[in-house]
Amino acid sequence: MNIFVFVKRVPDTESKIRIDHKANKIIKDGLNFVLSPYDEYAVEEALRLREAHGGKVTVFSVGADEVNIILKKCLAMGADEAVLLKDDTPETYDGLRTAKIIAKVLKDKFMDYDLLLFGRLSIGADNGQVQTMVAQLLDLPQINVVTKLEIEGNQGTAYREIEGASEKVAFSLPAVLSAQKGLNEPRYETLKGIMMAKRKEIPVLPLEDLGMSAEELAPLMEVVNLESPPPRKAGTVFEGEAEAAAKKLAQFLHEEAKVI
Amino acid sequence: MNKIGKLDGKIIDKLKGIVGGTHVITDQEYMEDYSHDEFSLSDISRMPEAVVKPASVQEVAKVVKMANLEKFPLTPRGGATGLCGGCIPSAGGIVLSLERMNNIIEIDKHNQMAVVEAGVTLMNFYEAVENEGLFFPPHPGEESAFMGGVIATNAGGARAVKYGVIRNYVRGLEVVLPSGKIIHPGGKLMKSSTGYNLMNLFIGSEGTLGIITRAVIQLMPEPRESRSLIIPYDSLEEAIETVPILMSSKIIPLAVEFIPKDVIQITERFLNKKWPSTDGSTYLLIILDADSREEMDRLSETVADICLNKGALDVFVADSPQKQEQVLEIRSKIYEAIKSITLEILDIVVPRAEIALHVKKVQEVAAKYDIWLPTFGHAADGNVHTHIMKVKLVEGRLIPFPEKEWVGKMDRVREELYQDCKIRKGMISGEHGIGIVKKPYLSLVLDDAEIQLMKGIKRVFDPNNILNPGKIFDLKS
Repeated sequence: MNIFVFVKRVPDTESKIRIDHKANKIIKDGLNFVLSPYDEYAVEEALRLREAHGGKVTVFSVGADEVNIILKKCLAMGADEAVLLKDDTPETYDGLRTAKIIAKVLKDKFMDYDLLLFGRLSIGADNGQVQTMVAQLLDLPQINVVTKLEIEGNQGTAYREIEGASEKVAFSLPAVLSAQKGLNEPRYETLKGIMMAKRKEIPVLPLEDLGMSAEELAPLMEVVNLESPPPRKAGTVFEGEAEAAAKKLAQFLHEEAKVI
Repeated sequence: MNKIGKLDGKIIDKLKGIVGGTHVITDQEYMEDYSHDEFSLSDISRMPEAVVKPASVQEVAKVVKMANLEKFPLTPRGGATGLCGGCIPSAGGIVLSLERMNNIIEIDKHNQMAVVEAGVTLMNFYEAVENEGLFFPPHPGEESAFMGGVIATNAGGARAVKYGVIRNYVRGLEVVLPSGKIIHPGGKLMKSSTGYNLMNLFIGSEGTLGIITRAVIQLMPEPRESRSLIIPYDSLEEAIETVPILMSSKIIPLAVEFIPKDVIQITERFLNKKWPSTDGSTYLLIILDADSREEMDRLSETVADICLNKGALDVFVADSPQKQEQVLEIRSKIYEAIKSITLEILDIVVPRAEIALHVKKVQEVAAKYDIWLPTFGHAADGNVHTHIMKVKLVEGRLIPFPEKEWVGKMDRVREELYQDCKIRKGMISGEHGIGIVKKPYLSLVLDDAEIQLMKGIKRVFDPNNILNPGKIFDLKS
């Protein structure tokens, strides 16, 4: 089975995001970047499918040279190949633009695949658009937010959590799938894997080689303003002896919070 | 001597006059929390007669002065995360809780020092320090501990291998003496050869010499890269024997922990979290820091080579913050996972080179008494936490055994391990302190002359023996 996984480099969830209000950008200095966690589930699932069915796992990422570090991580986890789809344009947050690039690559350069795996969204932008748009552009079946996956021959069954139930979806390959938390527990890289990945060449496919027009690549979205969410208000502490404090709490719940 | 028994109403009223009525607690139900520490068995817990919560050093000074005048015992209390009964008011009297003195006064970036009140929790301190791009290296484990308590016990933790213990980071203190006088030994100073170092006497004094109300803490620049290696071995011996080779290879890891697989599995179930590996029978957890990715790769490769040469089965890497956190959480929650089935936690520290032999002795004692003694800890600083358990572990299952069986064994097991500690020129506490629990064994590892000096110091500082009486040693004996 030939599996392609698409991954993105994102700021670590524990990083404190600071905004450069003049340039309308996040300040990258001091930020720690990681492989988007949902993409990591996708990579892990690909590796497990390969271990069960044989085949090959290739990981792709769209971005500048700095995304190599997450591609190396995927190689260290056990992916066979990684390809950098080199795009030096600063972050556009335009999912359609990324989807067009990926679709073009899959139409013209890497045509041989059975499964296209994505994370359900990249943390940071939180858009969750690309996989759906890629499926649409390539006219492939798609199942999003998958928590369990079974493949048999060229047929697959995916499970997704829906309100109060689990939905079971049958599909045929090739297909587009996006991974949700719970799909698996990603493995830890071994040092051996890291060292092997370090020595491995990552082929670069520059955007210019795809023959896409400037019009196709122009972002349709413009970021007008970035704001941090307002800081959370401090909680209220009712001080004093238990009885008096309980009275104050009850009074608060009744008169101000109006919940009792 | 001390008035043990009821404090009269007048004293309670005066205390209320000092700290305010709502900050003197006498309600039994509410005081129950203040009658024990994190671990202590019920037979050493004791209810205080009142809990007093001052908000300033002046209030502390007035309360202490009054205790000295009226001669009632006063036990200072931090986050109560201790394991030896240090904060239990075992002589009665009042508990002086520093919980309201929880301000971080300043983080001085130019001097790379912080000034904190005693009631600041480690958790809040780490956060404030990280927000300024600085680093406070010691990590004694439980983050709800208060800075005051951490200093009063000279706490250590896993990162001591590279960065040392709390004592190495305290530069100055504000201390209330039993007389009510406030002194400020040390300061924002990197050096001082100015007379006796009084500050160091208070560090590790377990609240017996003065009340620490404020501290000046040394900080460091934050290392850029941090990585945890999880290394499975087939045998505990191979794992531990790796450590001295590692330490002589010019690499200083932040931490080198050894942990048997059985306690990892119990903790995995307890937390519903996954450890990176199911291989082997023992793990080394090695934490590295470095200033660049290249340096980190070089360090990890060297470590991996040494470990694999000594028989390690593989080397797993956690380098994203989430993965490191997951691994560290499992490591630091082992205690919680097995707490309910633990009788006692030993805190023996031996010279680093003796650790393999001491652990071997633990295994012999476990076999001799047919008791489960999971042993893990800080392999590279010689500090071993052997747990005396009230269950047996048979093929991964926990089988309780009756109290009458373990009750006699417990003392003999402890005795044998302390004797082994003495033979290896170790100490009975590496980082937890003596409190009440380890008091009977102090004379096993310290000379009488040393103990007499300690008692002399106690008398100089606290002539009426009002501060945490009966901790570390008994004055009369």
